[in-house]
Amino acid sequence: MSATAEGPARSAPRRKIDFHVLGPILALAALIVLGALINGNFLSYGNLSNVLSRSAFIGIIAVGMTFVITAGGLDLSVGSMAAFIAGLMILVMNAAMPATGTGLATVLIGMAAALAAGLAAGLLNGLLVTRAGIEPFIVTLGTMGVYRSLVTWMADGGTLSLDFDLRSFYGPVYYGTVAGISWPILVFAAVAVAGEIAMRRMPFGRHCAAIGASEKVARYSAVEVDRVRLATYAALGLLVGVATIMYVPRLGSASASTGLLWELEAIAAVIIGGTVLKGGSGRIWGTVVGVLILSLIGNILNLTDVVSPYLNGAIQGGIIILAVLMQRGSTARE
Amino acid sequence: MIAPVLSLQAVRRSFGGIEVLHGADLELRAGEVHALIGENGAGKSTTMKILGGYLPPSSGQVKLDGAPVRFAGHRGAEAAGVVMIHQEFNLAEPLSVEENIFLGRELRRGPFLDKRAMRAEARRLLAELDCPLDPCRRVADLSVSDKQMVEIAKALGREARVLIMDEPTAVLTRRETAVLLGLVARLRDRGTAILFTSHKLDEVAQVADRVTVLRDGAVVAAGPAADMTEDEMARAMVGRELSDLFPPKPPAPGAETVLSVEGLDVEGLAGPASFSLCRGEVLALAGLVGAGRTELMEGMMGLRAATGRIEVAGQALPRLSPGAARAAGIAYLTEDRKGRGLLLEKPLAENLTLLALGRFGRPFLDKAAEARALDEAIGLYDIRLRDRRMAAGQLSGGNQQKLLLAKVMLAEPQVVVIDEPTRGIDIGTKQQIYGLIAVLAASGRSVIVVSSELPEVIGLAHRVLVMRRGAIAGALEGGEIGEEAILRLAMGLDEGGRAA
Amino acid sequence: MNKLAYLGLAAALAAGPVLAQDDDTQVIGVSIPAATHGWAGGLNFHAQQTVERLEETYPQLDFVLATASGPAQQVNDIEDMVATRNIDALVVLPFESEPLTGPVAAVAERGTWVTVVDRGLSQEGIEDLYVAGDNAGFGRVSGQFFAGRLPEGGKIVVLRGIPTTIDNERVENFQAAIEGTGIEIIGMEHGNWNRDDAFTVMQDFLSRHPQIDAVWASDDDMAVGVLAAIRQSGREDIGFVLGGAGMKEMVKRVADGDAMVPADVTYPPGMIATAIEMTAVGLVSDAPVSGRFTIGSVLVTPENAAQFYYPDSPF
Repeated sequence: MSATAEGPARSAPRRKIDFHVLGPILALAALIVLGALINGNFLSYGNLSNVLSRSAFIGIIAVGMTFVITAGGLDLSVGSMAAFIAGLMILVMNAAMPATGTGLATVLIGMAAALAAGLAAGLLNGLLVTRAGIEPFIVTLGTMGVYRSLVTWMADGGTLSLDFDLRSFYGPVYYGTVAGISWPILVFAAVAVAGEIAMRRMPFGRHCAAIGASEKVARYSAVEVDRVRLATYAALGLLVGVATIMYVPRLGSASASTGLLWELEAIAAVIIGGTVLKGGSGRIWGTVVGVLILSLIGNILNLTDVVSPYLNGAIQGGIIILAVLMQRGSTARE
Repeated sequence: MIAPVLSLQAVRRSFGGIEVLHGADLELRAGEVHALIGENGAGKSTTMKILGGYLPPSSGQVKLDGAPVRFAGHRGAEAAGVVMIHQEFNLAEPLSVEENIFLGRELRRGPFLDKRAMRAEARRLLAELDCPLDPCRRVADLSVSDKQMVEIAKALGREARVLIMDEPTAVLTRRETAVLLGLVARLRDRGTAILFTSHKLDEVAQVADRVTVLRDGAVVAAGPAADMTEDEMARAMVGRELSDLFPPKPPAPGAETVLSVEGLDVEGLAGPASFSLCRGEVLALAGLVGAGRTELMEGMMGLRAATGRIEVAGQALPRLSPGAARAAGIAYLTEDRKGRGLLLEKPLAENLTLLALGRFGRPFLDKAAEARALDEAIGLYDIRLRDRRMAAGQLSGGNQQKLLLAKVMLAEPQVVVIDEPTRGIDIGTKQQIYGLIAVLAASGRSVIVVSSELPEVIGLAHRVLVMRRGAIAGALEGGEIGEEAILRLAMGLDEGGRAA
Repeated sequence: MNKLAYLGLAAALAAGPVLAQDDDTQVIGVSIPAATHGWAGGLNFHAQQTVERLEETYPQLDFVLATASGPAQQVNDIEDMVATRNIDALVVLPFESEPLTGPVAAVAERGTWVTVVDRGLSQEGIEDLYVAGDNAGFGRVSGQFFAGRLPEGGKIVVLRGIPTTIDNERVENFQAAIEGTGIEIIGMEHGNWNRDDAFTVMQDFLSRHPQIDAVWASDDDMAVGVLAAIRQSGREDIGFVLGGAGMKEMVKRVADGDAMVPADVTYPPGMIATAIEMTAVGLVSDAPVSGRFTIGSVLVTPENAAQFYYPDSPF
């Protein structure tokens, strides 16, 4: 017996709340209430702005990850890829500065390099998966190690730092605001909206879900399976580039520890949001909720002394499992 | 008369407020083969699942040895000796035959597996079935019929008193079917009570002692098999006279060649083959199982690595790929509707529009248009459903086939290839699908029917290509088309026939 | 598992004949953690530099440098060095004390010279030479600096490293040093010696506490994140941030008289260079090098900053 993938049947009355859809939202609401009770500053503009801005990197990546996972794939390399692109971007901008000066031109060159590198890295993952036919887990485990080593090598084991003057010019891309909303939040929102449209309203999203549900059926339905899967990896790479563009101006540096475990956070956010890890069904808005849940947990733990910081990981893990349990609970028994 | 081992009394069952079984009575007796027949969606599956403990009844009673019983799931039923064998086998493919037979009730010696005892017991069970299978072989490497034997051995190992078999012969060849039916007869003689379902009424007549006919969730006829002819069974199932299974043949095709295939070669599996198809023609591809018919068609569609030249209306396909085939107006309806045809967990509309999705998204998906397309398809192809938002997998087999046909036709193909159009489908739906094929041809489409059912081939086709060992062994046209002629070509008794 | 063992065997077979040493060539194995954060990056830099330099100076010495990403890998590295290179001396910076004690003791029992750097082993007397970092001193010097800068007391927040004995030792000594000064620690969280984590933790400290007089970031990488978060908030109440370890950018800011970074406390990754060099000298000469050698943590101030500034180091 398989569960109906979409919402409740129109004709059958439902008394129960549909946790499958509402689970993540309820968890988010509960966290917000909890945060507000624990600390009065939690709902302040400053705190919310901070939390949303720093969720943006994982968020932008997680949107791309949703497509990859929906199409039955996986990408473990995104954290290392982000570190590699950040390092590359810094090197490119530092190198270009003598020629192009401290200004827009240099930053644009850096951004172009980040997007190009992201696209290329994503294509590489995608081609290895589709053309060479290697499992995505193995391909991206491999590239994860490659990118992590490359950034360590580029930085000589230390830290790559953006030129100080360029840093202050580029800084507003992370710290600046439009109408009181910071740039990372705006970019994250734009990426999420575009992702939601592509997933729900465009053939691309439908094709991803079909491939994830059954690659054979998709192939027999003349879906260009390899091309779509390649596109999911390429899009994810590109979004890692976008995330890096938002990340670099924050601290102006990259090192071997940049983007550590981002891949797991992104995957966790996707799954908390209701996307199925084995593919076939994905929800972008769910992913956004998942990202917010993850960063709010960290924020709330930092705002309180109730639990030992040694237990932070346990609490995060517990909440992740709980959030997924809430949405699966209603379907698992069927 | 002996008392029944397992029986249903006035059993009803509802799903989500909709009753699908309206008070069914059924009695299974030791040493008796009981056939349960009915159209797709008549309630056979529900009845079997209630007997096998997979579903509890909404009301009414299940009685075991005369006493009311409520099975604790199928495990509870199995503990009581009631075992169900599903159409999709419940076997762990990577494990060996022996490991499967003892799965979940492994014999132990202390904390360790007692492999020697299990192997001996597996051998004994297989020998009892006259089945010379090596218990050490991997199930994944077995043929479908051997897998069925393993399922039965597994059931026997659980000391089954009641065996419930869901369409055991649907995917078997004739020879395999004969072996299976022989086995069923032997099990009956040993005193096992057997319930089985089948769409093949000749089998029912051959092996069943007692027949129960379901229609629309109610028992419409029941009694000793000897008292019912096949015609009477069919009439009871459908609820009307089935005068003619096949529609009148569509008008003779025009002279215009729509599809021309030259030197199509599917690496190592089929071909090289050349043939052509005219507008409005129904071409059947006949042959024995394994003759390479499906492989040839899949090669043409770009679903398998293949070479060759394919022209549609004079235009050569740039390459052999599913996308190119769709663009050229060739559509293929697979024989494996569950594995390759439909996304079973997805709603009907998403399945319907998947092949022709480009028409619904430029660039944004028009969900209203998708809903309209579903409405049209439901009307046009008479798809019967509970709820428009149900998942495709919840449709009965025949309705899945109609949905698949609707999906393929939505791409508005010039050439439709239908592989085994009526496999696992009841006789009423069969008749509908034959009618639809005739309408397609009459409206100027060209149809290729791949079929193992000779009456189907003979009843539908203008022309028949018979394949043997990957190559086209011969072509038959008009009056030449007949069961014997086809079989002679398929088995290599005739060389030639006519050139394709 | 079998495959790994096989590879190890293959490596041993391949290495054996080729590397069969002349009697006068001696091999020194160096095993350190991989460059996963800034300080370890500096460590790797200094180790590589020293090895290259010493290989030129002493042609009779051969070096094997292995970096490990975890204690288990480090144990494997050391076992491989013994099995395939037959090392005469081992310089090891243990990832963690407990799991490395047994394996290093086994090496010492073979008669191999053992130099332990920074983190001590859990059992005394195994090593011939111990070049120790001064974690207690690191915390104490930092605490004393706070006591001096905030004579009236004040409210501070503390960012801790990855939960380890090193971190505990530093924080305990810091707390001891500020005891009775009226300095109150109003928040303490782990920033894991990571810039991004420190940025996040500091942002949340700023949301939570309306008044913070100073920050002990306890590490220069974390100080970078902390400073960025403070600058973004635009808050004026924070008087200064004290990092630690002696990263070149931070030392430069101290030297330049940056008000937010008035000082730094050293914990030089260059201690590995000292250890390798002393071991080499011990092997090639009769100079007495055994014993315990502590590299103290000292306060870097604008006055003495120049002597702690290594512009070529990545750290």
